[in-house]
Amino acid sequence: MSIRKELEAKLIARLRDDVVCVEKTDERTIYIDVKRAGFREASQIITASGARYLCSIGYDNIERDGTLAMVHTYALDDSNRFVCCRASAPVDDPVLESITPDLPSAGWSEREVTDLLGLRFAGHPKPKKLVLADDWPEGIYPLRKEVPHDFVPQGAEDVAYQLDEAPPGTKIVPVGPFHPSLHEPEHFAVYVDGETIKGCDYRGFMTHRGIEKLCQTQVSYNEVPFIAERICGICGSVHATAFSQAVESAAGLIIPRRAEFIRTMMLEIERIHSNLLWLGVAGHLIGFDTVFMQAWRVREQIMWLCERLTGNRKTYGMILVGGVRRDITPDIAEDILNVVKKIEDELTVIYRAIEKDTSIHKRTKGVGTITRQQAIDWNLIGPVARARGVDIDARRDHPYAAYDEMKFEVPVLDGCDVWSTLVVRVVETFEAIKIIRQCLDKMPGGEIFVEMKDKIPAQRHAITVVEAPRGESVHYVVTGEDNRPERWRVRAPTFTNLQAVPLMLLDEQFGDFPIIMGSIDPCFSCTDRVAVVDLQTGKSSSISKAELDVMSRKRLQGNQLQQVQK
Amino acid sequence: MWITSKIKQLLMVMKPGVVTLDYPNERPPVPANLRGQPVFDHQKCIGCGGCSDHCPARCILVRDVCQELRVMLYDGSRCTYCGRCADICPEKAITMSNSFEIACDQKEDITTRMELFMMTCQRCGRCYEMEKTNAIDRINLKGFRYDNLEQRALVRKTSETFDPALLKESDNYQRPSDKE
Ligand code: SF4
Ligand code: SF4
Repeated sequence: MSIRKELEAKLIARLRDDVVCVEKTDERTIYIDVKRAGFREASQIITASGARYLCSIGYDNIERDGTLAMVHTYALDDSNRFVCCRASAPVDDPVLESITPDLPSAGWSEREVTDLLGLRFAGHPKPKKLVLADDWPEGIYPLRKEVPHDFVPQGAEDVAYQLDEAPPGTKIVPVGPFHPSLHEPEHFAVYVDGETIKGCDYRGFMTHRGIEKLCQTQVSYNEVPFIAERICGICGSVHATAFSQAVESAAGLIIPRRAEFIRTMMLEIERIHSNLLWLGVAGHLIGFDTVFMQAWRVREQIMWLCERLTGNRKTYGMILVGGVRRDITPDIAEDILNVVKKIEDELTVIYRAIEKDTSIHKRTKGVGTITRQQAIDWNLIGPVARARGVDIDARRDHPYAAYDEMKFEVPVLDGCDVWSTLVVRVVETFEAIKIIRQCLDKMPGGEIFVEMKDKIPAQRHAITVVEAPRGESVHYVVTGEDNRPERWRVRAPTFTNLQAVPLMLLDEQFGDFPIIMGSIDPCFSCTDRVAVVDLQTGKSSSISKAELDVMSRKRLQGNQLQQVQK
Repeated sequence: MWITSKIKQLLMVMKPGVVTLDYPNERPPVPANLRGQPVFDHQKCIGCGGCSDHCPARCILVRDVCQELRVMLYDGSRCTYCGRCADICPEKAITMSNSFEIACDQKEDITTRMELFMMTCQRCGRCYEMEKTNAIDRINLKGFRYDNLEQRALVRKTSETFDPALLKESDNYQRPSDKE
């Protein structure tokens, strides 16, 4: 029995009339439409059949049938299938049942939809604001079509986000509004008891730029990849590729094989870049600047290579819907081989130098631990999950571009800590080099771009998953009129991994906060100011980044001291 | 183990030595196909507007002052150097130069303005330049049309330090909500 039939049978057995239809749109996507009464139960049935939750997408259907719709998406990793479960609620009674009690990682997706579309979720454990600014006026939902893309409401004073109550006996250490080392805005309130972290609350989305809204209202399909690339300065090609693949899959466009190979290569070059960058940052976060300097020295070569290859150090601008923009000439192919060879050698030297360094072990082993089961429950992805024994990798499980022809290992470790994450990412860099060599080896000739001849039909749904260096990115596109998507949802890997950070921080030392945060390679930055509020006296003082670094380094020196004494 | 690691680390650092360039005294060569600042050739441009239609940053603005005069304005302050305009241009009037050190205080310094004399087609009334072949139809105008120079007023002004006057002035900004 096919997977679709099996699912349909299970759903109908439990939900009966609530199932509207179960259909397969392409080789690997199964769409299930249910009435809203059966939404949560359908989700339970789907997850019970082994599917892994990805994310949820809300969209505005008011013009068509007066409803707000919601899609939960899942992946069946063993059989390379995606399951999308849709339901809708009328706009005058916009309530659906929450699935967060079953799937904790759905929490943010649902809160985001509540903020942006005004769809509410009954039974959500934490229905607070997530994305919108604190002074955003009530009753205006920016992703609804009636709200213009450049709408700027009047600001308001004296509104602040209410952080969660601190557990009794703890003190609050706010970290933010900038992250102490990644230079991106974020705000954590960390509840500490002495030096031990007892919990935390997160307030972020301060750089929410409304990219999705912009692309849904202003630009056309072939300009979105350039904007998608700027979602993230590091995994630009990932987002551009994912968007292009989603549109291609909705339009039924087959792109030339050579273009797929070039895309694969760009993604792997980006992975090398990202992993080296992260290795440096991780070294810096634990006060080990030698690693930082050396990893970034090695990384510089890949940036120069990309400048020769694509015309820019980052934001490569290589990917378009329908193919890629620049071809790989034999000269540049040789250049690539030389550079990756050099990187391979130099990274080996770095890895050898640090793999047995006990001072690094002390700072990273047994830090940020969560168990394999917790990692699965929270749907962790990418190297963070693979370091905790969860064997997932979208490149292997849901092959896209030319990955079906590539041979590579997926490193899985069960150390469950920051050190394992580090090892996974170093090993992945070597694997990426292997993939680049295979790409150049097997690259077929032919065109690199195919023109979109026909209009892309409206109201087609497509989902695609691309493995970014820090985890999988999910893109969901609903095609629309006027040559642009009607809804485009991007779920970056950090969106999922960040939700599990409170769990990773639990019972850790405050001095380890930066590296635990850093270990998921969050896509926002952490900078200078940490204010310490003493709950009892209400007095607040500030710790500068220098001081936090000193705290962080003291731990390192303490460790080294112990080491020497031993 | 700790000591051997440290020795390895020492070797790892010693071997490459100093790699930092003494920029700006010492400049690395710029690769041939760098995507630097786009340069417009008014001799070649036929004013088809293809570049403005496809620019993801919407920083090439077209405005027909009258039937015969079309102004093209390239606003470099918002350009993302993607090179899409150069790809699109049917007349190869745009080249991505290799200049990248273009930070400046005056926005005008990186703005290019072209005034193109257009002829009107006797049959359809559309504009094109007389002595060149008409490429309007070769370009598929699908995208969003941005032919309003005044839209630039929406680019917000900022000041170096907090300026109460500027804040006051911002009250008068046209907000899309109060257009209705
Ligand atoms: S380089 Fe890109 S952003 Fe700049 S003008 Fe050309 S198309 Fe627009
Ligand atoms: S695409 Fe080329 S010819 Fe057409 S308006 Fe732009 S610069 Fe001129």
